[in-house]
Amino acid sequence: METKLSVRDLRISFRTSNGKVQAVRGINFDLAKGETLAIVGESGSGKSVTSKAILGIQAANSITESGEIIYDGKDLLKISEEEFHNIRGDKIAMIFQDPMSSLNPIVKIGKQLTEAMILKGKARQRESQKNFDTYLKNLSEAMVKAVGASDQAKAAAAGENCKKFHQFEVKHTELEAAFSNAYEAAVEAVDDIDAISFEMEKKAVKDPVNRVADIVSGAEKACSDYVVTDKADRLKSLAKGLKGQLPGKNSDDYSAILASMQEMRGILQEAVDQTKPDFFRMSYYQCFSGEKLPQMPAEELNQFLAKYMDQGFMKDFVSDAQKALEYTADVAYSNMAKAMETLENAKAAFSKEKLDKKECMELLKSVTAVVETTIDPLAIVKDSLIYTFGPSLKNELETYFGAIGKNVKAQKVHERDQKKYDKLVAKGKTPDWQVAAAAVIDMELVQANMIRIIDRLVEHYKELLDRRGERDYAQETAKAIEHMNENATGIVAKVTHRVAKDRAIKLMEEVGIAEPHKRYNQYPFEFSGGMRQRIVIAIALAANPDILICDEPTTALDVTIQSQILELINKLKRERQLSVIFITHDLGVVANMADRVAVMYAGKIVEYGTAEDVFYHAAHPYTWALLSSMPDLDTNERLESIPGTPPNMIYPPVGDAFAPRNKYAMQIDFEKQPPMFKISDSHYAATWLLHPDAPKVEMPKVIQDRIARMKIKRGEDHAE
Amino acid sequence: MQNNAETLLKVNHLCQYFKIEGGETKAVDDVSFEIKKGEVFGLVGESGCGKTTTGRSIIKLYNITSGDVIFKGIRICAGKRSYLNAIEQAKADYKEGVKNNPGQSSELKAKRDAIIAEQKKLMREAELDQKNCDKEYSKKLQEECKKKYEALLASAPAEKKQELEAEFKNEMRKAKNTKIVTQIQMIFQDPIASLDPRMTVREIIAEGLKIQGERDEKVIDEKVYEMLELVGLVREHASRYPHEFSGGQRQRIGVARSIIMNPDLIIADEPVSALDVSVQAQVINLLNELREKFGLTILFIAHDLSVVKYFSDRIGVMYFGKMVELADADELFLNPLHPYTQSLLSAIPLPDPIYEKNRKRIVYNPLAAHDYSEDKPSFREVKPGHFVMCNDAEYEHYMKILK
Repeated sequence: METKLSVRDLRISFRTSNGKVQAVRGINFDLAKGETLAIVGESGSGKSVTSKAILGIQAANSITESGEIIYDGKDLLKISEEEFHNIRGDKIAMIFQDPMSSLNPIVKIGKQLTEAMILKGKARQRESQKNFDTYLKNLSEAMVKAVGASDQAKAAAAGENCKKFHQFEVKHTELEAAFSNAYEAAVEAVDDIDAISFEMEKKAVKDPVNRVADIVSGAEKACSDYVVTDKADRLKSLAKGLKGQLPGKNSDDYSAILASMQEMRGILQEAVDQTKPDFFRMSYYQCFSGEKLPQMPAEELNQFLAKYMDQGFMKDFVSDAQKALEYTADVAYSNMAKAMETLENAKAAFSKEKLDKKECMELLKSVTAVVETTIDPLAIVKDSLIYTFGPSLKNELETYFGAIGKNVKAQKVHERDQKKYDKLVAKGKTPDWQVAAAAVIDMELVQANMIRIIDRLVEHYKELLDRRGERDYAQETAKAIEHMNENATGIVAKVTHRVAKDRAIKLMEEVGIAEPHKRYNQYPFEFSGGMRQRIVIAIALAANPDILICDEPTTALDVTIQSQILELINKLKRERQLSVIFITHDLGVVANMADRVAVMYAGKIVEYGTAEDVFYHAAHPYTWALLSSMPDLDTNERLESIPGTPPNMIYPPVGDAFAPRNKYAMQIDFEKQPPMFKISDSHYAATWLLHPDAPKVEMPKVIQDRIARMKIKRGEDHAE
Repeated sequence: MQNNAETLLKVNHLCQYFKIEGGETKAVDDVSFEIKKGEVFGLVGESGCGKTTTGRSIIKLYNITSGDVIFKGIRICAGKRSYLNAIEQAKADYKEGVKNNPGQSSELKAKRDAIIAEQKKLMREAELDQKNCDKEYSKKLQEECKKKYEALLASAPAEKKQELEAEFKNEMRKAKNTKIVTQIQMIFQDPIASLDPRMTVREIIAEGLKIQGERDEKVIDEKVYEMLELVGLVREHASRYPHEFSGGQRQRIGVARSIIMNPDLIIADEPVSALDVSVQAQVINLLNELREKFGLTILFIAHDLSVVKYFSDRIGVMYFGKMVELADADELFLNPLHPYTQSLLSAIPLPDPIYEKNRKRIVYNPLAAHDYSEDKPSFREVKPGHFVMCNDAEYEHYMKILK
């Protein structure tokens, strides 16, 4: 599984007038592509703080003490605000908890929905162009080197092939995009016709004028670009007359309009069921034959094009590309071996007791340069460890040299406070504040961090070299071509106001807003709470993000709508391979959404595992408490609430933070923090109960009963 | 559950329409139900279906359009629309009648006038009830109070007389200021927004008592402390402000504020929706304890069906202003008949991943589910205590299912 986002040892605190609140205390997790990770916990457990850190929108008084959030070869904690503009909303989007405060009250809903689409549309086009060009350039260079080492002519041919590929790849995506627009319009028009005909038969149509207009425009769109071909004229004339057939205000005679809509539906359905033309070959033909495309049905056309297309070209191109991939990979591997040596030397230099600034900075430069040579320019998934090595090492060095002055100052402040405190105590008073520990940066820790960064990379190299034989270059070549294809699609996709509006209205329909045409021009205050939340969700989805962070998106909604929204998020997740971070305290929702679950308490992850692990084999007392405090449909006994309140995070407890509220707490829970115990490959929990010397404690009966009960319920469900 | 218990609240054909641009929206449309003393009646439905409006109409926050609400045997709300409609109907009938039988015009006219007079009388009564129910209730209380103290005063020794007289005066003033709707109290959804940030907890909880006319600070303090302890807070909390409390504690303050008036009925409008699971459990347990202690009757409005099921004795399901199904909690979940109820139940998320990943939501489309073009639906009893909105054909169908 491809990891999209990984959070390592994240620590975040807030400066307040009473002291430093430690909101997040060293959490680790990975988010894979197309996976949902649910973060569960009470309010104040640090779940929202974590998600906001991922999006780079922490409050002004927050301090990121340590850690890294790695996304797409970048550490999100260290990049500039400018760079974040390309990520926030576009790659990582967020649905906020409170729909009241996340919409602009004086801008119409439609504008708010389309604003980001239009802005991001242009940026994305530019970026795709850049990606495509650099990748093809890298590929062509590598190809020439790989193929042409011995043969000049072959090298020239390979370069020529790359140029050709560029030319018709763009044409191909243009054709394909136009076709799929028309095709989608046809499919949608069929659905719309079905929906409105049903309501017309029942004589209860809502908003017929706009909906008929939608059908008309859909049908007209479908008439172009190989979708509706021979019957296009008939369809157009039918569509033209459709509006006129709508009955007047006092009549509910829909027979005329129903009849013509049925005929339109027939034509459209036929078009939808047709074989799809092969645009890849078609574009090749159009680019290089210099003749017009012959008019014939799609199947014949496909055969004709297959004959024309020079099969040799693709074969050559693909085999050359594969060679190129192998070549760059080999170069990277051989550089790795060299880099490992340099790294070992650097490690020795950084391990010295006292570092010299000038020497270290020079060393940093040379090491970074060596590491950069191990980057494979043709790898599609960026190797985040190699990419972030330079910046993180630099960061640590800067902290180290910056700390020298800072520590003296911090020590002085601490001494002053201590004196003040002692004076008060000497006077016989008991101050209601405590002296905060000196904010001294631990130089040894910083140095250890540097060594750790180097070690980690060396290990990573070793691992890569070990797995060298396992790589399947044929498959990687296919992926590389697909990657270029995706970027070419991005170049072609233009987002105009009209397109954005259509897409916004479609999105509004998808999130379940009735009469989207009317709603499009309304202001947020005209919507109810549930409706506003749907708008917020639509805005988050509008940019088509990679990662979606949902911060209690359905807490304020009722069950049916909640169910709809969850289904929508799940559907999008499947279709777009979206990775979702889902924050909630409703365990029913977690069971529905999550592939994996992280239970958070007092800024730490206390249990981590797949949904099945956490629900059926929960191991941490806090998870038990959460599970047993929620009623289900068969609960009759008194609910078990969790006594007490979460700890004050200005003075975090020494031992397990949950110990004071935990009825299974042991002496050691108050003295020492439990480590993460491994239960299975996917399941971890931080509780001393898992220690081999601890007494055996069973899961509470309430939960066991529920699991048994649900098993019976499921059994029945399957039997039906 | 408590079939023999007396009926505390009766809602008859309650309609609440709101004027909007170009017509009316029927927020609540012909809803009838009863709440027995000591039971918890759950009201569920999606947002905008009128469950909160129903609660607010009962407590007289709106003037209802039609129907009436009877609380403790006194009609506290009454709408006029149904009478107006009857008058319109009578006039139309008369016109139609005269057209068909021109000979009987005088008879018909007399009939029409009789109906109109009758309806006008009823309307006048409704108006007076709506206006005077508080006065009447306080009169009743005053009389009771008078009786009690007159007897006491007559038999009391001379030295205690003065003290008793003062007490009598105090009680009389309170009785005079008591309104019947104060016997119905409300707990609101948002514990942050429903508490005034400028008032201390003591002021918030005691406000109702003060309005009722209690002037003795000592009595107020005692009562406030008692309530605080009852809801699981401590005396020291009385002098603090709402922002110093956590969500669950704030909701407890809301509960304390409502039970200090010693109400007969509590309308709890989504009291736990905004709370964390663990806190939610605390508040539900608290309400359950109070209910056992004081025999409280609660109208519980919520959208979390697991909680409603856990907490309520009977449940009413609302859809677009109409009550579509009403039954005992267990019966409703065992035999949901109305397609909307089925769709609602199919949407409940349960804490079980395998079950959840296979759960199929039933989609409710009123147009597809019912054919009401000719046969109009009404609210019928299909089984003792189980009511469903259905027409004749559906009624037969449901009876078959239940067998």
